[in-house]
Amino acid sequence: MPKRRVLGCSFPLLAVIAAALLGLFLVSFLSGALGRSLIGDVGLPGWLSVPAPDPKLPPEAVFHLLGFPVTNSIISAWLTIAVLVGVSYVVTRRLKLVPNRLQALLESAIGWLYDLCREVAGEKNGRRFFPVVATIFFFVLMNAWLSLLPIFGSINITTAGGEHVHLFRGANTDINLPLALALVSFIFVEYHGIRLVGARHYIAKFINAGRFFGGLGQLFRGSLRAGLVGVLTGGIDIFVGLLEALSEFIRIISFTFRLFGNMTAGEILLLLVTFLVPWLAVIPFYGLELLVGLVQALIFSGLTLVFATMAVTHHKEETA
Amino acid sequence: MSKWEAALRLVGVGFFIGGSIIMGVLAGLWLDSRLNTTPVLLILGLLIGVVVAFYGVYRMLLPLLNNKRDKESG
Repeated sequence: MPKRRVLGCSFPLLAVIAAALLGLFLVSFLSGALGRSLIGDVGLPGWLSVPAPDPKLPPEAVFHLLGFPVTNSIISAWLTIAVLVGVSYVVTRRLKLVPNRLQALLESAIGWLYDLCREVAGEKNGRRFFPVVATIFFFVLMNAWLSLLPIFGSINITTAGGEHVHLFRGANTDINLPLALALVSFIFVEYHGIRLVGARHYIAKFINAGRFFGGLGQLFRGSLRAGLVGVLTGGIDIFVGLLEALSEFIRIISFTFRLFGNMTAGEILLLLVTFLVPWLAVIPFYGLELLVGLVQALIFSGLTLVFATMAVTHHKEETA
Repeated sequence: MSKWEAALRLVGVGFFIGGSIIMGVLAGLWLDSRLNTTPVLLILGLLIGVVVAFYGVYRMLLPLLNNKRDKESG
């Protein structure tokens, strides 16, 4: 008679694993800050508990290069770039018709992104926008996922000034990196808007005083009614153009704070959960952070794509 | 419009509203402290922020609204 198996294990083995996990959870609960404050100190050794987190918002300079401070978040961003370049090199060096696992994974990811670009922006523009959109996607994604590795926030080094700082820190949690990416996205959108729609038409979206001055002209020529209507609708045009320009700049802010806020909150959440209940309780939150990293990368690149599509679409076409 | 584009447009709305109102308020506060006009420019900045937020959201969601209208009429 075949033995009954649950989750691929025989029943006694599963019971032993479950008991070990439960024991580990109990010990971790009792040694963490939550257990200590609820139940009190039960005499567990001090090295089991985790010190209270001390998150710092500004990144710390690790060393100076030609007078510029090189912060730990920059080093992490370099690490991300190195990983991305390395993986791309290894995968594309010998492309096979029947791909191996890594090539198949990357092919499906890139194929999916490419389809998304073409679906949102159309065949021609999708092809045009794809490189920048995909680069932003992979950069943000790898920044988020690499910062979940244990080397982040645990390797301490001493700087020339004698300070102890972390060698790595999640690059997305330094507000300068989301801001830089938001600026890249902004310039990308404006560049394609101006190039594909034409500078005159594109700027006319923001400075739209034609009807206003037309109305003024009619007023001078004596047609009071048509002139007043022209001036009024022209005034509204100017106001709407102003709003359009302002909302273009607000996007930089919302891009920056969306990524920075989500990533920093995630890191602080992980630190706090580890402090309250060490070891096991943080594992589901790690899963959550994997998801958050993916979602943020998708949002950042996808919104860049949507805004670029909006910029190259004529206003009238969009409303029609 | 694809599902993905609709989802992305909707996702962009939240932080856009917050960002525009906060930027309006911050700009108003900064100008007030510079020009000693407290609280006139703060209120003006808040109003402009709210208007920009509404307009931006309207622009972002316009294609979604049109889609819905097409479906209802057709």
